[in-house]
Amino acid sequence: MELDSLKTIWKEQETPVVVPDPEQLAHLLQAGSRGPIARMRRNLRVEALLMLITYIPTIIAYLGMFDGRLSLISLFLFAVLCFYAVYYYRKDRLLRNMQCVTCEVRSNLAAQLKALRKYIRFYVWSGTFVILVALVVALATLRHAMQSKAIPVHWWFQPAFLLGVMTPLAIGLFYLNKWYVNKLYGRHIERLREMLHEMDEDR
Amino acid sequence: MPASSIQDTFVSLVNANRSILYKICRMYGATEPDRQDLFQEIVIQLWRSYPSFRGEARFSTWLYRIALNTAISDLRKQRGYGPGSPIDPEQLSIPLQDIQYASDKEEQLQQLYAAIDRLTEVEKALTMLYLEEKSYQEMEEILGISQNNLRVKMNRIREKLRKMTKEAAYGTR
Repeated sequence: MELDSLKTIWKEQETPVVVPDPEQLAHLLQAGSRGPIARMRRNLRVEALLMLITYIPTIIAYLGMFDGRLSLISLFLFAVLCFYAVYYYRKDRLLRNMQCVTCEVRSNLAAQLKALRKYIRFYVWSGTFVILVALVVALATLRHAMQSKAIPVHWWFQPAFLLGVMTPLAIGLFYLNKWYVNKLYGRHIERLREMLHEMDEDR
Repeated sequence: MPASSIQDTFVSLVNANRSILYKICRMYGATEPDRQDLFQEIVIQLWRSYPSFRGEARFSTWLYRIALNTAISDLRKQRGYGPGSPIDPEQLSIPLQDIQYASDKEEQLQQLYAAIDRLTEVEKALTMLYLEEKSYQEMEEILGISQNNLRVKMNRIREKLRKMTKEAAYGTR
């Protein structure tokens, strides 16, 4: 097969594709991109919205309920909400920078690989940290409630014991997250790396 | 410029270059729904990027970049339409189905597509641009690979395709 001799056939082939008219285009754009990055960003927005919908009323409720005696819970929840706000913002920014379709193909792939690696690092560390933060907040809330009701705090509720339990838990979570994120994106990262390597090699 | 006029200009520009989109979709989409999906995704990406097109580069160069970037860097393993899918390709009436060619030409074209299908994603892009008679400078602008490197790769692809045809003729892989 001589590639040069096939140029005419290639150029003359019929292209049975009809570009959507403006009305169809509007319909298409309304449906939005089905690309993976767009979908990830959409899911992230839904997640953030759900967080706001559930946390804000709860924070307000704890501020007003029981004559404000449980207002500390509101503070804890607010701290968690702030943490998540940073988490969602950072994740969204990483996703936004993941694709530059108007760039040269090589630089787009390189940027995507870099952003995806950052995203994975962030995913693993924040995924580990988020669960620990939530756990600490829950335990601190419980301890505060016990103390306010003068319930004795048992040995298993002492900080040293909890630290002993949480350290292996954190390590386990870290590796679980790492395994999961590699299962999700590992193959794609490998593919990007191979394509870049192929583009760069000239021998 | 009013929004409807911008849309009209965009549609006519894409329409004038629709053969490029068709060929890219045919090269990178394994099945008909894959091609439909990829075509829609490329049109969406083109429309979103259209405000940033300032005419510094040729429209076709700009279009190639977007189309190839969308096709190559796709994270999806497989495109598919489930019952809950937001877009039904049938309803959009963008027929991308393969057509029947006059026998000889069709056979050669089918063979060419079959051979291209065995190339890597990067090689596919290069072959497409080569068949479209793009200069090495234009290829560099689209792909971001140096011209020397492109020449080496093109020679390798030509050899690879020649070998594939030989193997097919002797019935070996």
